[in-house]
Amino acid sequence: MNNNQDTYKKRNILSRFFSIFIYFGKSIYNKFKKFINRFKDGSIGTKLSHIFMGAGNIYHKQYIKGVIFFIIEAGFLALMILSPQVNSTPLGFKSIANFFTLGTEPGSIFLPTDNSMLMLLFGVICFGIIGMFIAVYGSSIKSSYKADLDVKAGKEATSFKEDIQALLDDRFHVAMLTPAIIGIITFTVLPTIFMIFIAFTNFDSLHPAGQVLFDWVGFDNFFAIFNGTGEISVRFGPVLGWTLVWAFFATSTNYIGGIFLALLINKKGIKLKKIWRTIFVLTIALPQFISLLAMRSILAEYGPINSMLINLHLIDDPIKFLATADSAWTARITIIFINIWIGVPYTMLMTSGILMNVPKDLYEAAQIDGATNRQAFRYITVPFILFVTAPFLITSFIGNITSFNVIYLLTGGGPTVPGYIAGETDLLVTWLYKLTIDQSEYNIGSVIAIMTFIITATATLLSYRRSKSYKEEDAFQ
Amino acid sequence: MKKFMLIAVLGLAVLFGAIGCGSNAPLTIWVGAESVEFYSAKMIEYVEDYNAANEKEFPYEVTVVGVDSSTSAATFLDDTDAGADIFTVPHDNLGKLIAGSSAIAPVMSDSLLNQIENDNPQSFLDVIKGSVDGTQYTFGIPYVAQSLVLYYNTAYVTDEQAETWEGIWEAAITADKYALTLTATDGFNNSFLLLSTEADTHNTSLKLYEGGVQEECYALGDDTIAKLKWGQSFFMDANGAKAPSDSGWEVELSDDISLSTIGGAWHYEAAKSALGDNLGITTLPTFTLTEDSVYGTAVAGTVYKSGTFADTKMFVMKKNSDKADYLEDILLYLSSKGVQEESFEEAANLPAYKNASTEFSAFEEDTLDAKLATAQVEMFAWGLPQPFGYNSKFNTYYYSKGTPDLLLEIIENESGDFSTNQAIIDQLTIIESLWKTGLRPE
Repeated sequence: MNNNQDTYKKRNILSRFFSIFIYFGKSIYNKFKKFINRFKDGSIGTKLSHIFMGAGNIYHKQYIKGVIFFIIEAGFLALMILSPQVNSTPLGFKSIANFFTLGTEPGSIFLPTDNSMLMLLFGVICFGIIGMFIAVYGSSIKSSYKADLDVKAGKEATSFKEDIQALLDDRFHVAMLTPAIIGIITFTVLPTIFMIFIAFTNFDSLHPAGQVLFDWVGFDNFFAIFNGTGEISVRFGPVLGWTLVWAFFATSTNYIGGIFLALLINKKGIKLKKIWRTIFVLTIALPQFISLLAMRSILAEYGPINSMLINLHLIDDPIKFLATADSAWTARITIIFINIWIGVPYTMLMTSGILMNVPKDLYEAAQIDGATNRQAFRYITVPFILFVTAPFLITSFIGNITSFNVIYLLTGGGPTVPGYIAGETDLLVTWLYKLTIDQSEYNIGSVIAIMTFIITATATLLSYRRSKSYKEEDAFQ
Repeated sequence: MKKFMLIAVLGLAVLFGAIGCGSNAPLTIWVGAESVEFYSAKMIEYVEDYNAANEKEFPYEVTVVGVDSSTSAATFLDDTDAGADIFTVPHDNLGKLIAGSSAIAPVMSDSLLNQIENDNPQSFLDVIKGSVDGTQYTFGIPYVAQSLVLYYNTAYVTDEQAETWEGIWEAAITADKYALTLTATDGFNNSFLLLSTEADTHNTSLKLYEGGVQEECYALGDDTIAKLKWGQSFFMDANGAKAPSDSGWEVELSDDISLSTIGGAWHYEAAKSALGDNLGITTLPTFTLTEDSVYGTAVAGTVYKSGTFADTKMFVMKKNSDKADYLEDILLYLSSKGVQEESFEEAANLPAYKNASTEFSAFEEDTLDAKLATAQVEMFAWGLPQPFGYNSKFNTYYYSKGTPDLLLEIIENESGDFSTNQAIIDQLTIIESLWKTGLRPE
């Protein structure tokens, strides 16, 4: 039975994988087919639009629209042909060539060196601009063809005013989404692609941009994780392992602690509930970094906790809790405990809200059926909380994988591992910070960023798709 | 509502588009954050003098900006086009600035080159030059000097005791305190043992990129091993030396946990506020090899003077600055003897000028500031200019490949793994390999 299920699952995954390819293939084919058909069936204006954007609109007396399309095409061609320089590095078609070479001029004391980093960046931007231009080019032909169809149907081609009105009415989603999509492409997608490409270069401290050319190195940086005696090969495994352990404990302790606290405060008979809640929420009211720095000072080697323990003759020498701890696990456990103090109130607040919203009739029905308090908790409260908080649990786990503040402010990654940059409590993300900001090892930093993304994306997809919140999203309304 | 939202979106687009349109950029100078006021005033004077001498207005507005000198080179390299026309860097940053085809311009004016040659000690002249495309140029204009000194607590340590580590150690044993807390465990602030030299002869077998050659590193000399063994005894004793705790060295000084620390001028204010009237300042102490710490040809009883990197902060110029015609004349003025003397008096910057201690009257005063300056100048005799300016790799290999931690691991010997000579030699072999190649030996 299990074997059959496994085979079914594998087939299912494979078929999904292929269906994505088929979908994209079909989609491209259909677009190309429409493109050809529009050229064949379109008016002379539409045919001309394939070369001069806006020609079809002008043909149909949609002058403003036509001129806008024409200006976009002229601007695009001017950018590509003239290749204007920004910070001595060309944009336009030259940037595409530069994208592949990453520069050829090594420079001299009086001459500038090609800036490989800007060339890579401008190459990516140029591909982005070409992509956006293709989208506008397609819509110019589509617009002209639509005007053809309107005329064929005996109607008049829409005026610019009518188009604007449509953008504010029927097509309002287009008006609103276009800037958002452009923003996402410009500020999220392109920088991400740029970062991914850096992982395939030797852009590091020995190849500073604008002084020394850097080059494409294929998968060398990824192979470095598994080979050699360098920082990334020796420290990647331990740092990844601790990152996952940290994320698990930071998430689960906060989650369980928060629920426990919420149940305690919401328990019948507890007085001054609001005051209790306020006390716990105080840690949220304070900026997190202040709480963390305060905790660091309190737990410092010569801080108040150690002084108190020494004065009470409970210890002779101060305990090193954080960056200078004798054992890595002392520092790690301390961090997890501090994180509980910082994080539990969030879960407590959220769970309090959920508990107050559990339908009372469920408990009444259970009571009538003779359920004990424990059974009511086990079969009503817990499933309800789990259902509502599953997405929170997943995002919290992911958030903890990339949790920077807690580690950086409490230990700075320490205790140190002699000879290596990544310390015993460094997470992938704090290690990434040290490698890029402190050491200028951008290529290795990009590899770690990609690995972090793969881990978080996989964990999110797998866990969320298996959660009831996803499978039965309409269950609670 | 929809119209309003559309207008808002378009308005934002126009706003973002308008950002960045600026006027003619000013001539920008980055100086250490502690000296902004001083150099701003000096530049006002310079512009006034220029206007009077040339009977025309200086063509640019001048902006003096305070920066963290230790990171100014990295900030500049992040975006050289947005970087200052003139900026300050420690000399060991020269390597990264001149890597490849160089991001900074060489000094070409004869008057400035002459002033640099005439006013600076040879040790500085050796480290402000670098080769690009096989030709050597002078890139840096020294204007501030800095070395490490000893800050100690005069309530526990006498001036005589402060001359030797054994004396401070003895005071620490009497008071049941630590003798020394390091300010940091990096390769600069914890270099006093590694860079120590024989007190009589100044001899040491240690080589760090000697002559600017990558292969010229040597850490396996008998004296180096003996010094580290002495360091082990100092660091492993309950009243000896220690790395800073997460409370910070300032707390340890002010709470009388430790009796001394090693620091530069940039630690002065913190040391003063930690110890108040009990602050004593002197050169780094000596130590004497014991029978337990000898190795090979190193002899018991040999006295070593603790060493330091002796640095100069220097001004450098942006390559291809559109204001290049004016920069060298400004630097001729800012690095002149007169401005350095004023800088010492008004901003407590230790001059790079070679005869400062004899020619500047402020050195004669009986103040802590003067003591700090005198101690720093004296330490120059025991100092090694950081030899990392020749090549950007040197700085990376020395500081960033983990060798400072490996050295600390030997002298702290917490695990007991470095109790044998062979273990120390093995670790030093790794360190030497990292200095030379950036890689551990296979």
